[in-house]
Amino acid sequence: MSELKEKLKTQIIEQLNLEDLTIADIKNDSPLFGDEGLGLDSIDALEFIVLLDSYYGIKIDDPAIAKEIFHSVDSMADFIESKK
Amino acid sequence: MYYIHKIASITHQDSFNQTDVNDSLVEIAEDTVLISPDYKKYVLPASLRRLSPILRMAVAAAKECQEAITIPVEAISVGTALGCLTDTEKFLNVINTVEGEILSPTAFIQSTHNTIAGLISLELKNHSYNMTHTQNNLSLEMALIDSMLCCDEGKEFVLLGVADEAIDFLNKLKPIVLPENSIVTSGTTFFALSKKKSTAEIGFLACNSIIKPKGVEVEIVLFLRELKIEINEIDRVYTNQNSLDFPKEIVVNYEAYSGLYFTANAFGVHMAHDWLIKTAKKYALIVNSGCNNSLGLILLKNDKAQN
Repeated sequence: MSELKEKLKTQIIEQLNLEDLTIADIKNDSPLFGDEGLGLDSIDALEFIVLLDSYYGIKIDDPAIAKEIFHSVDSMADFIESKK
Repeated sequence: MYYIHKIASITHQDSFNQTDVNDSLVEIAEDTVLISPDYKKYVLPASLRRLSPILRMAVAAAKECQEAITIPVEAISVGTALGCLTDTEKFLNVINTVEGEILSPTAFIQSTHNTIAGLISLELKNHSYNMTHTQNNLSLEMALIDSMLCCDEGKEFVLLGVADEAIDFLNKLKPIVLPENSIVTSGTTFFALSKKKSTAEIGFLACNSIIKPKGVEVEIVLFLRELKIEINEIDRVYTNQNSLDFPKEIVVNYEAYSGLYFTANAFGVHMAHDWLIKTAKKYALIVNSGCNNSLGLILLKNDKAQN
């Protein structure tokens, strides 16, 4: 699981061009969106949908659950694991 | 007259915020790179990470011009020949290689030509007239004519700019589309324009864009005749032409300093503007004749000229 989270962080940095961040800067349980966390926005949410589709073959059919899934690296990893 | 209140250029020269851009010019070589300012001074890091080189440099140059005049511009007119090539190439590569069914939104959103003017509008929080002109190597001329019309309509200040960026693929277009020995580069130049006199009292007197010219020299004569200016009154000519019927000592090849991008004549305007300030001469003509059998003519005038 921790390996998946590290991989996910690398993919997030790459997909969102977070050029000033390293894996160590992204905490597993920190919110990804909003001022408290990384400060990501709605375009980044779309990028996450693309990321899950292209790297893990997972499609998010219900946009309402996306908010929960994309809350943190922990929640994204849990979701990916649950789809295996 | 349409006076230039501020010019900002980001090019392969050390041109950004220089008092005289001609002071530090070096001839372009294959290994020269775009000399960028610290973009974090102009764009928030959260937004900056999404911006390709052309968007970063255009926004920085546009903001410099807006800050110099303090009151908000009433129109934004941008010329770009090839638009946001980095994002276009990225988006096309994704279409070509993507394994899933969903495409990345950022490169798609930012791949259109009018992203530049649109982003400037968002960054300046300026929702006035906003136009993008894409007319190959005449894109500056078209955007300039639009800006002049905006000034004539009574808009006090207009933000005029051009931007084009190089990607490796452009080198594959040699020698069929681009000249074999050309050095493809990136660059942007923005101007704050107004009919109100600037401190330097230098501005655009006239501009003409000609498709299928009768001949470069013939068109120059006609252009100047219309303005009631004799050809020997021209103090300096900035051009990308190899041979022009002017004394060699007054002709400068701007492309030797800008490299090749289709709106590089704007850098020629910047060089001419700073030269007119330094020498107190009256007229500088910018002759842009590159490809597609077209010709752009721009005349700068210095009201403080002593001759």
